[in-house]
Amino acid sequence: MPSATASRQAGEPISEQEALRRLRQSEDPSQQYYGAWWLGRMRSQHPEAVPLLQAALRNRRPRDPGAGVEENAVARNAARALGKLAPAAQAAIPDLLATLDDADHGLREAAARALGELAAPAAIPALCARLAGGPAGAGAQLPDTPRLAEPCEALLEALGDIGIATPQVLAVVEPFISHERPLIRSAAARTLLQLSGDDRWGQLLVALLDHPQLQVRRAALMDLGAVGWRPGFGAIAATLAENSLKLMALRGLVERGSGAPEDEVLLACMDSLL
Amino acid sequence: MSKDTQPHLAERIAAVQQADSTQGLLQATQELAACADPAAAPTLVEVLGFNNPGAAVAAVDGLIHLGRSAVEALLQLDPENYGARAWAVRALAGIGDVRGLELLLDALGSDVAASVRRAAAKGLGQLELAGLGEAAQLQVRQRCLAALLAASTDGEWVVRYAVAVGLESMAVDLPPDRPQWQQARDGLVSLSEATEANPPVVQRRAQLALSRLEPQ
Repeated sequence: MPSATASRQAGEPISEQEALRRLRQSEDPSQQYYGAWWLGRMRSQHPEAVPLLQAALRNRRPRDPGAGVEENAVARNAARALGKLAPAAQAAIPDLLATLDDADHGLREAAARALGELAAPAAIPALCARLAGGPAGAGAQLPDTPRLAEPCEALLEALGDIGIATPQVLAVVEPFISHERPLIRSAAARTLLQLSGDDRWGQLLVALLDHPQLQVRRAALMDLGAVGWRPGFGAIAATLAENSLKLMALRGLVERGSGAPEDEVLLACMDSLL
Repeated sequence: MSKDTQPHLAERIAAVQQADSTQGLLQATQELAACADPAAAPTLVEVLGFNNPGAAVAAVDGLIHLGRSAVEALLQLDPENYGARAWAVRALAGIGDVRGLELLLDALGSDVAASVRRAAAKGLGQLELAGLGEAAQLQVRQRCLAALLAASTDGEWVVRYAVAVGLESMAVDLPPDRPQWQQARDGLVSLSEATEANPPVVQRRAQLALSRLEPQ
C-alpha cells in the first residue's frame, strides 16, 4: 500500500522527468513506488524507464511487515510496469525470471503476469516448474491464509498469453481444471482454450457463467473475452452480471475472436446492452 | 386501470415497500413490474433509489415497458439521489420520450460513470420526435447531435461506441441531403478511424453504421 505521502502525491499530475527522478532516488521508497506506477500507467517510452525498473526489481528485499512502503512493494510495481511497457521491456525478462523465484507471493504473481504480457517463451520452463504438483502441490491452500502455495491464476494465465502449446505445457495446465476453486478452474480453462482452441474448454467457461457467486461469473466473462471465444456470445449476454463487464467481454470476442457468429451479430448484441 | 385491479396493485406496492431482504425486494419488484400498470410507476421509481442493483434492473425494465406513462414519475426524481438518477437515465433512454431530453443531455455531458454516459448516448439517438412540429424536431435534433458529437472524444471506448450507435439511429431517420445527416456521418467517419486511443471495436461499429447509411 502507498503511504499517506505517496497517495497525496498521486493526486497531483507529475511529468515523466519527475517520475524518473522519483524512481532513481533511493531515500524514499514511497516516491519510488509512485514513480514506478506512473511509468507503467503512462506507457513511458523514455530510454531510462526500463533500466530503472529493472534496477528496482534487483533491489527487492525480504518483506518487513509494518515497514510501510518498502523495496518489495516498489519491485511489485516495477514488475507490473514492465508488463505494461511490453514489448519494449524485453531486456527485463531475465530480471523478471529471477523475481519469479522470490519468496514473496505477491511479487511472484506480478512477475508472472508481466512475463505473460511480454509473451516471453523463455519463461515457460520456470512457469511450469512453479505449477509443478498440480492442484495438490502448487494449488494447495497455505495454512492460516486464503492463499495457495503459488499464485496459480497468474502462472496459468501467463502460459496462455505466451501461447505456445507444447504437450508438456498442456500436461502441466490440465490438472488445474479440477481445482476446488472455481477461479482457478476458470484460469485453467482460459489458458487451455487459448492454447488448443478446443471448444470443450469454452463450454467449461460458459458453465462457470452460471456459478452462484458473482465473482466467479465475472472472472469467466473476462476469461471468455480474453480468449475471444465467439460461440460464447449468447451465454455472455444472458449471464447475471453488470452490462459493463459483458460489453468488455464482447469487445474481446469482436477484436480477438474469429469465425461465427460474424461481427454484425456480436455488435447487435453489444448495442442491446448499452 | 380498472377498479378490479386496484386491490391487487395496492398489495404489490405494499409488498415492495415492506420487502426486508435483497431477494424479497427483487421478487416484489418483478411482480409489481409485471402488472404493467401506470399507477405502479412512482413505486418502481422509488426502487431505483434502494441501492439494490437486481431490483433496480427489474424496475428499469418495468418502467421502459410502461413507456410514456412512466416519464412523469421519472422526472420527479430527486436530482441529489445520484444512484437512482443513473438508473433513471437508463429508463428514459429506453423509453425515448422527448421530455427526458434535458436529463439525457446532462448525463452524457457530465455524468462521472461511463455506464450512465453510454446509456444516455444511445438514448439521445432514439428519441421519439414524431409528435413534434417541424421546427421543434429540428431544434431537438440539433441539440442531440451537438451532444453526441461532443461525446465522440469521450475518454471511455464504451461511450464512443454508444455515440456511434446514437449517431446511426439519428441519421437513419433523416434524408441524406440534410445538413444534420452530413454532420452525423462526419462524426461516424471520425469514430471509424484507427487511432492509438480508438480500439477496433469502436471503429468496426462506426464502419457498420456508415455501410448501412450509404449502401454501396
